[in-house]
Amino acid sequence: MARPLTASHRRDLITGGAIVLVGVVYYSATFAIRRTDDIVTPATFPAIVGIALILLGGILVTQALMRRETPAEAVPGSSSTAGAAASAGEPGVVIAAPPEPRSKQVVLQFAIFFVYLAILIPVGFLLSTAAFLMGLTSLYAPDRWIRNLVFSVLFAAVVYFAFVYGLAVYLPAGILG
Amino acid sequence: MDTLVDLGNGFATALQPASLAFALLGVLMGTVVGVLPGIGPISAIAILIPVSFGMEPMHGLILLCGIYYGSMYGGSITATLIKTPGEISSAVTAIEGYEMARRGRAKTALATAAIGSFLAGTLAIIGLTFLSPVLVRLATVFGATEYFLLMATALLLASTMSSGSRTKALISVFIGLAVGLVGLDFQTGLPRQTFGISLLSDGIDFTIFAMALFAIPEAIRNLALGRGAKEEIQRFGDAKWMTKEDWKRSTGPWARGSVLGFIIGILPGVGPSLASFMSYIMEKRLSKRKDEFGHGAIEGVAGPEAANNAGVGGAMVPLFSLGIPGSATTALLLFVFTMYGLQPGPLIFRDESGLIWAIIASMYIGNIALIVLNLPLVGVFVKLLKMPKEILFSAILVLVTIGAYAIEFSLFGLMLLGLFGVIGYLMEKGGIPLAPSILALVLVPLLEDNFRRMLQISGGSFLPLITRPVSLSIVVLMLLGIIGPIVFRWWVRRRHLLMDVTVA
Repeated sequence: MARPLTASHRRDLITGGAIVLVGVVYYSATFAIRRTDDIVTPATFPAIVGIALILLGGILVTQALMRRETPAEAVPGSSSTAGAAASAGEPGVVIAAPPEPRSKQVVLQFAIFFVYLAILIPVGFLLSTAAFLMGLTSLYAPDRWIRNLVFSVLFAAVVYFAFVYGLAVYLPAGILG
Repeated sequence: MDTLVDLGNGFATALQPASLAFALLGVLMGTVVGVLPGIGPISAIAILIPVSFGMEPMHGLILLCGIYYGSMYGGSITATLIKTPGEISSAVTAIEGYEMARRGRAKTALATAAIGSFLAGTLAIIGLTFLSPVLVRLATVFGATEYFLLMATALLLASTMSSGSRTKALISVFIGLAVGLVGLDFQTGLPRQTFGISLLSDGIDFTIFAMALFAIPEAIRNLALGRGAKEEIQRFGDAKWMTKEDWKRSTGPWARGSVLGFIIGILPGVGPSLASFMSYIMEKRLSKRKDEFGHGAIEGVAGPEAANNAGVGGAMVPLFSLGIPGSATTALLLFVFTMYGLQPGPLIFRDESGLIWAIIASMYIGNIALIVLNLPLVGVFVKLLKMPKEILFSAILVLVTIGAYAIEFSLFGLMLLGLFGVIGYLMEKGGIPLAPSILALVLVPLLEDNFRRMLQISGGSFLPLITRPVSLSIVVLMLLGIIGPIVFRWWVRRRHLLMDVTVA
């Protein structure tokens, strides 16, 4: 264990640990299910799943601790571009992994999204969507605020009318209703 | 003969103006969405499912099948011109196709992809047409044991055949199962895994889960990255679409890719992505110009693209005839079937024969539409590549929000969407693939139901798994599915076949 952990090892350790935790919580929740006298009770499958998650998380942690040589097959955060059984070797064609954004930015984006989800029904689709789009696009490209504004208002309006009148999906009218 | 009569009737329905329009619209919408960088077929279907809510089942399904092909071809355009594969199945095109584009042969790369997709897609649908009735007849001897085994095999193969860590793919499967078990137990009506939240007793809606996983993490990641270096879009060049030489070099790979793709597509749990990688390796091995691979070899585009699209037709075989999806994308389609109150499987060919044959017929039409629409319009689609990211991804967030709202009409549904978006983001960050969990979520009710029935019939014994001839064959297939990939990986490594394709 003299070697320092690489980023990929650390990631697997954290992921594995988190999965074990999820498994434990999930397994404990099966005790709340009323038992029946069938061969397979309603709790059987959930219990199997909980235990499997604990085991798999454990395996991931163990693998991360056991792996001595630096792995090259890991594909950080890009299931969409993950490659085949490629391993390290002579350099060749490389599909670059997508760059990772800063965590602070990710949290901010998610926070804005959750605010939008929360106000959608009380405030209504048109206003909340226009504000949400304006917020996101202006954070990204503040210098193009006129374009952002036009896009936000137009997109919200077009989508609203298309869904309400075209597809009969009634979106919340909110304070405008 | 019956098959041809059924197919003829199917065409009679599929050629009606409304059906035809939905097939064309689907292909067009699919291509448009598939071209958008970072959006692959799974995301495209997940985002567009809400559009089909109010439609007639047949039209909705025809539309979504069209979206499926369209998005696959759209993904090839993106892979070729900006080297951004929407999903793993077009990752090989991102290598060879992009290299061709850099050498001014983008048009040729897109043409060989389109023609190959058309030929392979059509061949695969012919295969689907004639193989499905056979499987349906075979399926009459299937009992709970066989169905349970088939679904377990699908989930197992989905994890062993995946590209990255097998442990992580299995974790993904079990996350899907865990989510799928939330809600009332269908046999006893008892609430399970609801953590005391009564709103969870209806279970977690599949569409919300799929949209959250396949659209939100990608959108948030791109928005959070902010403005970076602009992606370089390769130009078309003025070269001819295909020279005689190109035709000659493409024919073999098209044919081999079609067969390979169809066979791999049929296997439960194995999607087209493996087909395209295997075709790439095969073409490289067979080629006399091995040194061209990695530098824009046309065989490396023609073969994998054909395999990819033949795989789609192949994956429809178990979906239609057994009701078992072979991949995350077909799992989405299975969900749409059940949303309309239809259960694919042997019975659908008897009870809804008109509907199912019309869908199969519409696939022939969709494939023709693909080539008729896409080659001439490719210049228009390319313009979509220039769409500013902030506009694209913020609009996608709004669309999935509408989708979630249209399903639950509640704040709770919206919050679930956001929550699963966060979970999907964390899974991606931890390197856990998302697709297997979608497959698992769709399969869990059937898996559990058949598991219970199997044990109830046998009185708690697992022996039927190996004492029934059909189930024993499936067990053998399952074992091959576990051992096969290990041998395959070892072989690939030993022969240094894929050494120079590294995904960093």
